[in-house]
Amino acid sequence: MAEEKKGLTRRSLGKALAAAGTAAASAGTVLGQAPAPAPASQAPAPPAIGPRVAGVAINDQLVFGGIGLRSRGMHDLRQLLSDPRVKFAAIADIRDSAREMVKSTVDNYYKNNDCVMYSDPAQLLARKDIDCLLIATSDRWHGPMAMWAAQSGKDMYIEKPAAMSITESYALADNVRRYGVVYQSGCQRKNQFAFEFAVGLARSGKLGRLLEVHADTAIGLGAVDAGGHGWWPADAPEPNPLVFDWDKWLGPCLWRPYNSNYPDRGRGEFWDFHAGLLEWASHTVAMAQWAADMEYTEPVEYVPEGGTFRGDGLIDRYTIYCKYANGVRLILRNHSWMGLGSCSNRFVGTEGWVETGDSGRIEVSSNLQPLLPTAKGTRYDPTLEHMREFLESVRARVQPRANADVTAHTHVAAHAAWICAQLNRKLTWDPARRMFLNDEEANRMRSRAYREPWRMEALASSM
Amino acid sequence: MPQAPVQTQPPQPAAGRGAAPAQPAPSPKVPPEFDGLAIWKMEPAKLLALVKDPNSTVFQKAIACKKLAFVGNKDAVQPMAALLGHPQLSCYARFGLEPNPDPSVDDALRAALPKLKGRQQVGVITTIGVRKDAKALDALTKLIDDSDPEIAQAASASVGMIGGLQASKVLRAALDRTKLPVFPVVARAALLCAEGLMPANRTQGLELYAHLSGSTMPEPVRRAALRVLNAAGPAPAGMKQYPPPTGEAADKDHSGFLGRGR
Repeated sequence: MAEEKKGLTRRSLGKALAAAGTAAASAGTVLGQAPAPAPASQAPAPPAIGPRVAGVAINDQLVFGGIGLRSRGMHDLRQLLSDPRVKFAAIADIRDSAREMVKSTVDNYYKNNDCVMYSDPAQLLARKDIDCLLIATSDRWHGPMAMWAAQSGKDMYIEKPAAMSITESYALADNVRRYGVVYQSGCQRKNQFAFEFAVGLARSGKLGRLLEVHADTAIGLGAVDAGGHGWWPADAPEPNPLVFDWDKWLGPCLWRPYNSNYPDRGRGEFWDFHAGLLEWASHTVAMAQWAADMEYTEPVEYVPEGGTFRGDGLIDRYTIYCKYANGVRLILRNHSWMGLGSCSNRFVGTEGWVETGDSGRIEVSSNLQPLLPTAKGTRYDPTLEHMREFLESVRARVQPRANADVTAHTHVAAHAAWICAQLNRKLTWDPARRMFLNDEEANRMRSRAYREPWRMEALASSM
Repeated sequence: MPQAPVQTQPPQPAAGRGAAPAQPAPSPKVPPEFDGLAIWKMEPAKLLALVKDPNSTVFQKAIACKKLAFVGNKDAVQPMAALLGHPQLSCYARFGLEPNPDPSVDDALRAALPKLKGRQQVGVITTIGVRKDAKALDALTKLIDDSDPEIAQAASASVGMIGGLQASKVLRAALDRTKLPVFPVVARAALLCAEGLMPANRTQGLELYAHLSGSTMPEPVRRAALRVLNAAGPAPAGMKQYPPPTGEAADKDHSGFLGRGR
């Protein structure tokens, strides 16, 4: 162990783990081929993400369009603009103020007046000169937009949660595969050192035989965890669609009367607009599945414990015990973490454990202390690294770490756990048949019918 | 590959999703008449009574339909089907009907189809596609030529989702006669259909892919079809079974799969 420790830095350990194929088996899927759920030891090493390019010829730039960029989207946009391989050309948004905010930011950055604004994403998607999309709409639009973008042949970096239901999760992955586009969900922790380190420990066997992977599902999300089937009353006439398009804002969700509070506050309050557990589980389950080498499947068993689904939008302290076919447990819980920051993960094996979170700090069992990075972990934003991986993947026509298949399986697992919590009973899932066994109510909850005229254009085999 | 954490910018709280929830601004209260909790907890019989009751409000019927999506049985079908023409409740009725496995749902949707117009008809067409009701193919085929593009697009997409040999013939024919804005949807539907054909009807599936790889097709569809054909490998003996491309499609085809030089 002393020899291992000698000269070991977190950079060198990361590289060592990566060289062993332990940290990124999901990458390297060539577009157009069926995803290969290869074990880590057989997975090809992903392409290196190079340093920032100092000078990029205009012809080598990737032309981007944005759809639905506001708070998180503006954060993403600023990261994206800093990469010289990117030329941001247009924004589509259903509200004029958001369009103008993006145009102002982009034009100020480029010192010109070239960013084109659209009120309808269809107009942007029709532009043949747009290579890639940055999509950061509200959750209910993510799935449809991803499918729409794929059908238009556009590569995309898209925020999460990626899909509002199990059906939508599979449908988006099917469309991305069918049209051979590059998809990276905004699961940026896949390019954050502390999480990569923890995943590397699990996948390299340093923890011994893996027993449990834990995923933080957050406390205090209120209504979104469960109920929220009410309406706010109409408080104003529907706005001019050119200023704010209420019908499009609703997207595929069920109709309700217009209330001026929805655009800024409605997302977190109502079941229709939110994917519940997936607010954090879309991150933390992704890391857990990565650590367990289960990125192309889901747990087969889901057991709720300790939670009280009150039906009024609140779930008390809860744990959902899930089990993969190989016996490894995925444990979703919103309590008893070590205080290492939001979106924590913990991986436990027969020979040790590791826990980390957004603080960047990493805690391990005493026997693994020598492997810890010498430098103290810090909180930092990995979004730019995550975007760089996307850009490299677009160039190489390979799928990045948070690709559509990986994202779909993550979301299916998390949705299945959420359905388990809502029904408050044990569920058994068949990943091959994409259905719960002997539970019709749970199976009906796999999908949410789209409001007209929205549609998925999904295959029969999706369900 | 995993790199040491390059400090790309000063440490800052992670923005947006996945960050610690910020203190939300106070939201309006949901008034009692729009509180869905009591309805959500009702037994199916009471939900059904709400849907049937002419004195129920739009909200009450809406939430009842929403819950019946998960717990409704055959008895719930006709009451919800009666709402398919309602401007606000049509989507709730479809939400309630779409996941209901009872076959009477398909009968109800087919019966409603010719009675509806506009967006309500579009919605029912889509739900028929999601449920893959092959008995509706003839009706949907006619709607591909509807003068309302939304209806024609929805019908095309649903034919593709239903899939099968009959659907493939319908879409193959529609590719030759439809125009923008319906044509791209027909092409995408045909792509879906081709994919669905492959396991049991590979030859027909490859034929449809071959047609979709023509240069007159929308570029994303054409590229998708070519990728499948390339993965399928050269088409040796089986190629003779495929109708040769004709006209402009053949002239412009550079895939090496359909080229005239073959």
